Amino acid sequence: MTRLLIAVLLALSVWGCEGRSTRAPSGLVASQQQDPALSGDGRLLAVIVDQNGRPTVQLRNVQGGAQLRLRHLSRHQPHSSPSLSWNGRYLAVVTQRGNHRMVLIEDRQSGKAHPLRLPSGRDPVQVSLAPDARQIAIQTADQGRWRIELIDLSGLIEPDRPAGQRRTTPSELNR
Amino acid sequence: MRGLLITSVLLLCSAILGCSQNGIRPMSRIGASLQRTADSRRYPSMGQRWLASLASKNGRERVELVDLSSGTPVPLNGINQADSQTISLSVSGDGQRIALVRQREERTELMLYRRNVNALQKLPINPPGIPRSVSLNGNGRLLAVQVSRRGRWDVDLIRLP
Repeated sequence: MTRLLIAVLLALSVWGCEGRSTRAPSGLVASQQQDPALSGDGRLLAVIVDQNGRPTVQLRNVQGGAQLRLRHLSRHQPHSSPSLSWNGRYLAVVTQRGNHRMVLIEDRQSGKAHPLRLPSGRDPVQVSLAPDARQIAIQTADQGRWRIELIDLSGLIEPDRPAGQRRTTPSELNR
Repeated sequence: MRGLLITSVLLLCSAILGCSQNGIRPMSRIGASLQRTADSRRYPSMGQRWLASLASKNGRERVELVDLSSGTPVPLNGINQADSQTISLSVSGDGQRIALVRQREERTELMLYRRNVNALQKLPINPPGIPRSVSLNGNGRLLAVQVSRRGRWDVDLIRLP
């Protein structure tokens, strides 16, 4: 009897974690979508789509699928590795400038673009913004090995925190 | 006249580009620690105070989660298995969940690791497809996954309990 109860509970826990699946909105034209990135609040989704043969980042509302305008990201393709901050104010993506790959952060609130040249001078391969956009992790290649460079962005852009969250200090983070 | 021209050009550049470059700073202490503790490191995914990545040491690649407030890795019991290779990962903003795609015995599987129970669970993909790239939202309750079906790439959204 106990074994049966345990088996039922295990089955329920596995079933309970399977989740409900839906297809991401893709607008009127069903295009291929790659490299998904969700905002921290889960309201926005960035994907890479093929636009006239050029991989281009696209931003959509998860609910309803409306496409949102990106002021600085209609060129400098190919785009790759999009990453969003908590409310989706910032979108970071790897772009192409001449012969070099470059990280570009678009601030959707101010309309500004922040192109990042890495202090190491290396080309970015993959990026991930911290949810509050105070840091960014960038994968680069260094003498045949992958490495991750962490950059503090707090002197460049304002944080994008969840609504109602108060400021914390590093010591408070440890508690 | 010349001053007016220069001012106009500057304003035009500012309006068109709206760019700035100052104000970025490498996080040298953590960066050095990351470099010291792995031969190679790729696939970064940042949470609020967490960095998940694939860290390679002595020829073996493992999923690693570093607490950025202390610079040290936290235990991820059961996430790294000898017969599997991780090809994509994403950590939730709160650092509690890690979604990953792994290859194991010629299968490609979508998995979810929950730190509070040290449990790695396979997530079904419906309709069936081959997962590639994943992204979790802040609280780890919404997952976006790139899936290959009949030669085309879709993105599925999976709501998790």
